[in-house]
Amino acid sequence: MKTPIENIVKTKLKEIATCGTNSHQSIKAEIINPFIESAENLFQTMFSSPIKKENPNLQTRLEPTLDIISLIGLSGAFQGIVSMSFPIKTSLNMVSYLYGKDIVVVDSTVIDAVAEFVNVLAGGAQSKLNKILNEPIELSIPTVIRGNQFSIEYPMMAKWIEIPFTSNLGQFVIRVTVKNPNMVGGILS
Amino acid sequence: MKALVVDDSALARNIIASTLEEVGITEVDLAKDGTESIELVQSNRYDIIFMDWNMPVMQGIEAVKEIRHQGITTPIIMVTGLGDEFHVKEAIGAGVNNYLIKPFKAETAIEKIKETLKTVEV
Repeated sequence: MKTPIENIVKTKLKEIATCGTNSHQSIKAEIINPFIESAENLFQTMFSSPIKKENPNLQTRLEPTLDIISLIGLSGAFQGIVSMSFPIKTSLNMVSYLYGKDIVVVDSTVIDAVAEFVNVLAGGAQSKLNKILNEPIELSIPTVIRGNQFSIEYPMMAKWIEIPFTSNLGQFVIRVTVKNPNMVGGILS
Repeated sequence: MKALVVDDSALARNIIASTLEEVGITEVDLAKDGTESIELVQSNRYDIIFMDWNMPVMQGIEAVKEIRHQGITTPIIMVTGLGDEFHVKEAIGAGVNNYLIKPFKAETAIEKIKETLKTVEV
């Protein structure tokens, strides 16, 4: 007989493992892990910073919980959208680090940089996903949105998995949604 | 020596230009997409070209094909986040000489630059 706490933990783990309550809308670990690994590589290589993954959440639409969001689409064998969201402070810290000078306002330099970050993040994940799917995946041109007066909904992509991270430069969030999340199996690690 | 760096990201152009400085290449032209790069290679002689893949207006791979179609043999390093074998094979087939995957450490880029220029000298 399991205790109530054990049941709650079991339920939570099951939710995380499938990233949803409906198997048709689940996002599997083999899809998500390449984005996590790519984020680790991006921060280690470009910023010499480790990152720490917090607990993932599920969202049914993309809402702006942070100040700047960069989005990129994936097409071909894998159809979906990836986003990186940053508080202004994190984005300024990251760009200041790369340019070797203090950048204190969000200008075209910062917007350009956050677009490149999501491009590199998606590129790294794409390379890993290609090995699993064994078919080409293409990337769109990144889009950057600043502000918090929007919401993006995709009827065909019912769930966004949201993974918050912390780094030496501040917090950020990666969100991923896919059109056909059951194309590969696995368990979220 | 003179280099051309083609990338829609100012940050990426800046990083590559800084890396080039480290190997003594200070004469660097910059282009934001494939179309601009083709215009520049028609009126300049470069010793090495750095080409991003994913760009608006004209993708890097199309620019590489056009540059080679024009008979320009300048060594090209594809610099992209797309590091899978499908894209690498396509790039090599289009006439790319070397491949640098983003994100990269400066030392990796320097190694690729030296490797590429050495191959051309031979």
